[in-house]
Amino acid sequence: MSDRIFGVVGLLLAIGFAFSALAIEESFLSDAVGPKAFPMIIAAILGLSSIVIAVRPDAEPEWPALGRLVEVGAAVVVMIFYAELLPVVGFVIATAFAAAYLAWRLGSGPIESVIVGIGTSLGIYVIFHLVLGLSLARGPLGF
Amino acid sequence: METFSSLADGFAIALTWQNLLLALLGCFLGTIMGALPGLGPSNGVAILIPLAFTLGLGATPSLILLTSVYYGAMYGGRISSILLNIPGDEPAMMTCLDGHPMAKKGLAGEALSLSGIASFVGAFLATWGLIFLAPQLVKIALLFGPAEYFALFALAFMTLGGVSSTNQAKSAFAAALGLGLATIGVDTQTGVPRFTFGEVHLYDGLDFLVAIVGLFALSEVFIFLERRHGGSDAEGRQLKIGRLYPPMSMVKQCTPTMLRTSFLGFLAGVLPGAGASLGSFISYSMEKRLVDKENTFGTGDPRGVAAPEAGNNAAAGGALVPMLALGVPGSGTTAVLLAVLLALNITPGPLLFTQNPDVVWGLIAALFIANFMLLAMNIPMVGLFTRVLMVPSRILMPIVAMVSFVGIYGISGSSFDLVVMIGFGVMGWVLRKLDVPLVPIILGTLLGNSMENNLRRAVTIDNGNWWTLVDSPLAIALWSIAIIGFVLPLIVGARVKAKMHQRRDEEGAISD
Amino acid sequence: MKLFGTGGAIAAAVFALSGAASAQECIAPANPGGGWDFTCRQVGKSLQDLGLIDQTMQVVNLAGGGGGVAFAEVVNKRGEDNELIVAASAATATRLAQGAYPGNTMDQVRWLAAIGADYGVIAVAADSPVNTLPELLDQIKADPTSVSVAGGSAVGGWDHLKVLIAANAYGIDDVRAVKYIAFDGGGEAVTQLLAGSVQAFTGDISEAKGFVDSGDIRVIAVLAPDRLPGEFAEFPTAKEQGIDAIGANWRGFYAPGGMTDEAYGDWVGKIGDLYASDEWKEVMAANGLAPLDLQGADFQNFVAESVGQIQTISKEIGIIK
Repeated sequence: MSDRIFGVVGLLLAIGFAFSALAIEESFLSDAVGPKAFPMIIAAILGLSSIVIAVRPDAEPEWPALGRLVEVGAAVVVMIFYAELLPVVGFVIATAFAAAYLAWRLGSGPIESVIVGIGTSLGIYVIFHLVLGLSLARGPLGF
Repeated sequence: METFSSLADGFAIALTWQNLLLALLGCFLGTIMGALPGLGPSNGVAILIPLAFTLGLGATPSLILLTSVYYGAMYGGRISSILLNIPGDEPAMMTCLDGHPMAKKGLAGEALSLSGIASFVGAFLATWGLIFLAPQLVKIALLFGPAEYFALFALAFMTLGGVSSTNQAKSAFAAALGLGLATIGVDTQTGVPRFTFGEVHLYDGLDFLVAIVGLFALSEVFIFLERRHGGSDAEGRQLKIGRLYPPMSMVKQCTPTMLRTSFLGFLAGVLPGAGASLGSFISYSMEKRLVDKENTFGTGDPRGVAAPEAGNNAAAGGALVPMLALGVPGSGTTAVLLAVLLALNITPGPLLFTQNPDVVWGLIAALFIANFMLLAMNIPMVGLFTRVLMVPSRILMPIVAMVSFVGIYGISGSSFDLVVMIGFGVMGWVLRKLDVPLVPIILGTLLGNSMENNLRRAVTIDNGNWWTLVDSPLAIALWSIAIIGFVLPLIVGARVKAKMHQRRDEEGAISD
Repeated sequence: MKLFGTGGAIAAAVFALSGAASAQECIAPANPGGGWDFTCRQVGKSLQDLGLIDQTMQVVNLAGGGGGVAFAEVVNKRGEDNELIVAASAATATRLAQGAYPGNTMDQVRWLAAIGADYGVIAVAADSPVNTLPELLDQIKADPTSVSVAGGSAVGGWDHLKVLIAANAYGIDDVRAVKYIAFDGGGEAVTQLLAGSVQAFTGDISEAKGFVDSGDIRVIAVLAPDRLPGEFAEFPTAKEQGIDAIGANWRGFYAPGGMTDEAYGDWVGKIGDLYASDEWKEVMAANGLAPLDLQGADFQNFVAESVGQIQTISKEIGIIK
């Protein structure tokens, strides 16, 4: 069943892709092929393979229970927060929190989580910033 | 032999204490950067340019440092592929396919040592190739016009079926998805934005590093989160570490593979724009076609580890040919090296070998030195690397996730890229559940633009005549191989599939 | 991971590479390794070598949108920063002129100074029957489909515009008919010229130099006002062949729009001093950069003029409306 749904979603994706390819605004100045042709070929392959997947599905994968899905969803939310807050609060603080959260959710105890968080954050800071000289997000405290 | 005396001069230039120390430092930093997801050889070299400047190095020492980093990163990428199933950089992607299954079987040490040896063989032979064949090989690169490049890329995709999945439809879906993602951004041929939804961040297209780190590293984190209470993490991560070094029989079994794929990878590297990823990919898929009689590739076959590693390291050496002899970078890394050469007042091009022989031969000697150093460094460190597997996943995975984030952020400085990466992570997780292979997606995003551009260049040059694509003997030959490679698995596919099911039942293997 | 941490700490101790927060910052609006990145790093290094700044200049890569992401960041978030400069080139002006940075215009930032220019060339393969620029353009005029011109920028990009400027100056009315093939960088374009896939090459002089020295390609015109100094002097300019076309790919910097006059003057002075130094002349020679001595208001006017010119020609060929 999963593969059938996946095939249908893939087909819809292919159709959507083809439509937005048709909507590409061509400039006056175009080459002989144009910017639409290649995406259209891709859309066709995408659609065909989706149909095959839907018609000849593989064995059903093992989907997680609802609780686990929530777990993954929560991790995604935390990561997005992390990405957005990184430039605001600075690298070290943001990373320590995010790493501690993930460690906690993966089964570490509270103290271990905090240690993992701070350790990861400082370790990365030393390697990437101090050794390799990459510029990481600088927060109000300067790191 | 003039060549050998030149080479001896090169070693005389390269063998100073300062240079050896630089090579050691470069190899070490390169290996680390290769192993860290997100930082690959091209960024690694670019990041260390200021170090070369800060130390006030001359032309030859700078090149020694930076090429050591380059080769080191090519070695390092395999480490995280094998241990974590996360490619450290894009050419190491193919090493995941058999390397990680080997680690799961308790053969992590063997896989690391063997891939180290394969890397050495590939790089070593490629350096000899560079010495003897560079001037001649340039002529091969000149045989490839846009139509031939298009045929080459088509060959890569058409022989994809069955490489990383048993379901060809899913491989094709993944490849098309990757190619579709590659079309996002401003169209380089006409300058119109495509699929950008007015978002300025998308104008340059999606960075394939963002895709690779998201698809592989973050999806791995999600899988662990999902399974924590499922009970499978206990047996999933507690990997046994067996012996550290492979038995001679295994090395012997892989030797023909290494030699063949070194040659193939080197050729792929010589073609500008094809690069190491294509080298390791073609090496793997050709070797699978050639020797995989029992259909063990993808389940932890040592040859499946040796093939892509010899291939991608040979390609790294091959990519230096067009850079030095034509001034045309064959890969992202050589593009950065080219910028360094220009900064050092050396203009690569047809006359480099006669105008700056000291630089060229010093560089070649440095490649040999770096290569031996990496072998000497990597083999004893296998034991150390495998310790990574002993770190419990509840500690390892947060570190992997954060390193992935910082690897991307440190390069692009953009939160937007991080959010896109998370999106890729979720997508990778779902696709893994559905048994859709991830490798073709990466290959698509990597090669999509070149493929499309070469198609359009070819047709435009011939004023809209699509038959130009099969207008040269070389193009026809490439297309023939592609079609055979595509049709053959379809015919024997059913038989193979039946076999696969049979073995799966026997072993009760879990594939993710 | 612990292993990496220890190794990193050792390397840090050995080399004491200070990555500590430094006062001055240069944004390279692309990934490490490109032209803008190089401008930042080279200028940062030279400024420090000359003692014009006392700390290492921090180079920040902010890639995206062909420089548009960095431009928007500077305009929206860093508008008042006195310690920030951003690398720019003719490509920046081209994109600004064509509105490729949505919602941004060149007046939103202050243009500091140029550090040199790379003049455009038009070249053919050594065995080509074409000897002069008028001959090539005549051929295009007679049958535009017979000549493919290869360049390293996208359609509508700077390499393309250079041919069109020349074609326009020669009196080809519908410049859109000129067949331009975009490659990924000048090197790849030259290779295809050697391979015989295309008939002509448009690019920068630095990209062509190695192949001219080896005798593989022939430069038929330099798009400079006068013949260039030194070893480049043998190439004829387009102007002396009766075609009034000039194309310079300049490199330089802009600064946030809200930078104080004092800081602006300070930066202009520093880059001016750098430009006048002998060390910089060596860097320019090494990189094939030709002189372009413009600072402060002069540079501002130069950029404005070039944006205007690109806008005109882009409208003519229909890239923008």
